[in-house]
Amino acid sequence: MSDDKLLVVKDLTTTFATAGGDLTAVAKVSFDLERNETLGIVGESGSGKTVLSRTIMGLQPRVNTTVTGSSIIDGFEVVGASENDKRTIWGTEVAMVFQDPMTSLNPVMRIGKQIDEALRVRLGMNRKDAKARAIELLELVGIPSPAQRYNAYPGQLSGGMRQRVVIAIALACSPKLLMADEPTTGLDVTIQAQILNLLDELKERLKMSVILVTHDLGVVATRTSRIVVMYAGRIVETGTTRDVFYHHRMPYTRALLESSPKVSNKSHTRLVTIPGRPPNLLDLSPGCSFAPRCKYATGQCHSERPELRPSIEPGHAFACWNPLPVNAEATLP
Amino acid sequence: MLRYLTKRLMLLVGIVFVISVGSFYLIHLLPGNPATVILGFGATPEAKAILYKQLGLSKPIYLQYFVWLGNILHGNLGISFISQTTVSSVIRSALPIDGEIIIISQILAFAAAIPTAMRSARKPDGIVDRVLGATSFTLLSIPPYILIVVLVLFISIKLGVSATGPSAYVSFGTDWITNLESLSLPAFTLATGSFVVYYRVLRSDLIATLQEEFITMARSKGLSQRRIMWRHAFRPSSVALLGAASVNIGGLLAAGFIVQYLLQIPGLGYTLILAINSSDFLVVQGIVLTVSVLVVAVNFFFDFIINIVDPRISRE
Repeated sequence: MSDDKLLVVKDLTTTFATAGGDLTAVAKVSFDLERNETLGIVGESGSGKTVLSRTIMGLQPRVNTTVTGSSIIDGFEVVGASENDKRTIWGTEVAMVFQDPMTSLNPVMRIGKQIDEALRVRLGMNRKDAKARAIELLELVGIPSPAQRYNAYPGQLSGGMRQRVVIAIALACSPKLLMADEPTTGLDVTIQAQILNLLDELKERLKMSVILVTHDLGVVATRTSRIVVMYAGRIVETGTTRDVFYHHRMPYTRALLESSPKVSNKSHTRLVTIPGRPPNLLDLSPGCSFAPRCKYATGQCHSERPELRPSIEPGHAFACWNPLPVNAEATLP
Repeated sequence: MLRYLTKRLMLLVGIVFVISVGSFYLIHLLPGNPATVILGFGATPEAKAILYKQLGLSKPIYLQYFVWLGNILHGNLGISFISQTTVSSVIRSALPIDGEIIIISQILAFAAAIPTAMRSARKPDGIVDRVLGATSFTLLSIPPYILIVVLVLFISIKLGVSATGPSAYVSFGTDWITNLESLSLPAFTLATGSFVVYYRVLRSDLIATLQEEFITMARSKGLSQRRIMWRHAFRPSSVALLGAASVNIGGLLAAGFIVQYLLQIPGLGYTLILAINSSDFLVVQGIVLTVSVLVVAVNFFFDFIINIVDPRISRE
């Protein structure tokens, strides 16, 4: 089984050269993904989720960016591969659903053409077949009267419809791995569930693996088998969805869970917030990045960085010097 | 789109009206009787009296305008008292030369600006971008009347290509090769100025567009760099380019006038300057009117093209 992992990420590190110095947005991230599995990557804004998901498929900015470590998608080493080589897996092996459907579609190109293009360039389809397939894809993602919508410009569609188009483009060349980077953040709450259910359904139908990147734990709770919690570019806790929700050891995971609004709360309950703000990645302390905001922090937390270490459940690991006790009472969203 | 263009067209009709009033009033602004202005100082009293009646100069000025406008709309711009031919025939023979120079210069400018801007935008502040940036800046600081003199000095005189020199103009119908040769230096001169503007505008818009999320999206589809540049980045970046071209062409007419005068190419500019020098005011009026209407028409044409390139504009 271990030979057949779809994705193996090892010590993946992404560094941007900025005017203020080198900024490490993703540091030594390692995890892997089985076929037909859904993995959640959670963390607050600026925790490096988006950069990580782009780096995994080699889509990081082409200038002022250094990537080390390894990311192997179905046997293809992405790190260090040339743009031309990466192009051979983009679309067909791995595809991405972008965060904001308002900016991720070309505003002056008909949506049908944006789907066609992938089919014609990557799969070598002719114009007629590509059009037929594009209409099929639009239908697959639940766009009504797809043949007419084929000729629409993105500006003529609503946000939810646009995100469906973005998904259709990502699915065009039947990728084995779909990266969904906050696929519902830019959408209305009512549309969010629709899009997430659609992704779930498509994953089963098309036998894909999905990496669901989000800041919203409610989104990953029922849809993922495993979760990676990120903070300041590092994995701070990882395990099965159940372990992360019920048996988490890292105070940051607890804080993240506590800050999710819960249906069971009385109305007008104040939302729990995490004091302070994410650290400046240009000026990281030698210790745990979460220490300045953590109520359990000790001297060691400020001076020495904790590495990921296993908890009692298989596959469950956390990075903390003063972890919460095993089977700590967990509050669930 | 149709509604947007109708709105633009109405605006342009308004502008053309203002231009026509201005052109009409030009003759009345000059000191002395309009009949004298039109016929020149050597005109006989009889001729003046006839013209006086023709133009209805005894009537109120707004009626005079309508008489004048009626004549214009029938293509009657009056008679040049120098050449004793109709002003419209003077314009008809001069205008194609301006058209030819401008069209050639624009083809050259776009052909040079688009690939270089693409190349620059791919790696901003890279070595190629810096060299192109410095070159374009140098070109920008050379005015056309200096450039044309330098070109004539080197190409026509030093290299001895006399067909490109002053007074070498041959009409397209007579010998099209010599015609192109005789217009090559003016076209090149105008192309240089346009190239700099187009290169810079397109470069900066391309750089902005390449930051957009949909470009990353296009990358993630596995499209080639070349395809991303041409199919995804170029079109949304070309609106400002077309706007610049639309404004620039008005300026080109003026720059063309100077170059034509220096090389004695009988286009509108050369004709206009001669007419001013000889106080041939109906020719001046006719050319001013023609050029203004042309600039307005070119603007409308570019509005139309911009709308096709970026359908968001008429939707907003």
